[in-house]
Amino acid sequence: MSWAAHDLEPYVFQRKLGIGVAIVPLLIGSYSPDILTKWFVYGIDVFGVHLQASDPAQFHRGWPGVGFTHSLLFGVALAWLVYLLTKSKVWAVSFLLGNWAHDVSDIGDTLGTMLLFPFSTHLVSLGAWAYAGQTGRLTDAAAYFSGFGGIWDAFWLVCALLSWRVLTSDYFRKVILPADPVVMGRLMRRYPEDLVLVLYRAMFFYGFARLVAWMIWAHIVHDYPFDLSWGGPHWVEAAGR
Amino acid sequence: MRTLALYVAAGIVYVAIGVAIPDFLYASTVAAVYLVVAVWGIPELVRRQRAR
Repeated sequence: MSWAAHDLEPYVFQRKLGIGVAIVPLLIGSYSPDILTKWFVYGIDVFGVHLQASDPAQFHRGWPGVGFTHSLLFGVALAWLVYLLTKSKVWAVSFLLGNWAHDVSDIGDTLGTMLLFPFSTHLVSLGAWAYAGQTGRLTDAAAYFSGFGGIWDAFWLVCALLSWRVLTSDYFRKVILPADPVVMGRLMRRYPEDLVLVLYRAMFFYGFARLVAWMIWAHIVHDYPFDLSWGGPHWVEAAGR
Repeated sequence: MRTLALYVAAGIVYVAIGVAIPDFLYASTVAAVYLVVAVWGIPELVRRQRAR
């Protein structure tokens, strides 16, 4: 799985594709594969009862399980639904792009994604960094930001910083607002522009800040060792390796 | 420049809270609410206080 990459990719695509895409569906699409399922991978406590998948990795990426949420065709189905609900091609295409970016980013880990489901349940994986979701969310974070996953996020941070103009108020007025009358237009009619601008920038801020915070937490506050070998870090038990 | 400084300050505080309480880092909605409060809400309150 990837972390800050899912926050930052949409802004890079927005910068490259301009008025042809809209940031809100790009972001929703980017979060969509995990949005309803991740809590059950890590587990949560509800009134003293621990709820978690018995096999988190299988649940998250496999079949049986909800691995179909990371397939290209599922993204198409959701994008079609988005089109039916909004009647906006820009929204549907943007959602699909965000969704596919997530699916493809996640093939970087040792577990991979069922990209071609339902035609195949094969997990497509590059195996560059350890999938450690089954170890719990803190160890997962420590592992991700100690291996190539952290490099992958840093790559997207650099791409996003190079696309910094996407964050300016001028770009917001000339591209973001005309591209998305569905949500941005409505928000602008109800709220002050400077507030909507803050909301627009929020996920960029989140991706940047959480990448920095996790790096400090894992390597300065704690002493998790870096391991930039392929499939690392090898100090964690990785699914699919 | 003032706007950038606000975001940088908000980022430093967010990172500090996140490092101390990692649960703070998991939810994008928490980050969005935090950013709105830090970069828009508080300056807006200060502006209104000064205008009185």
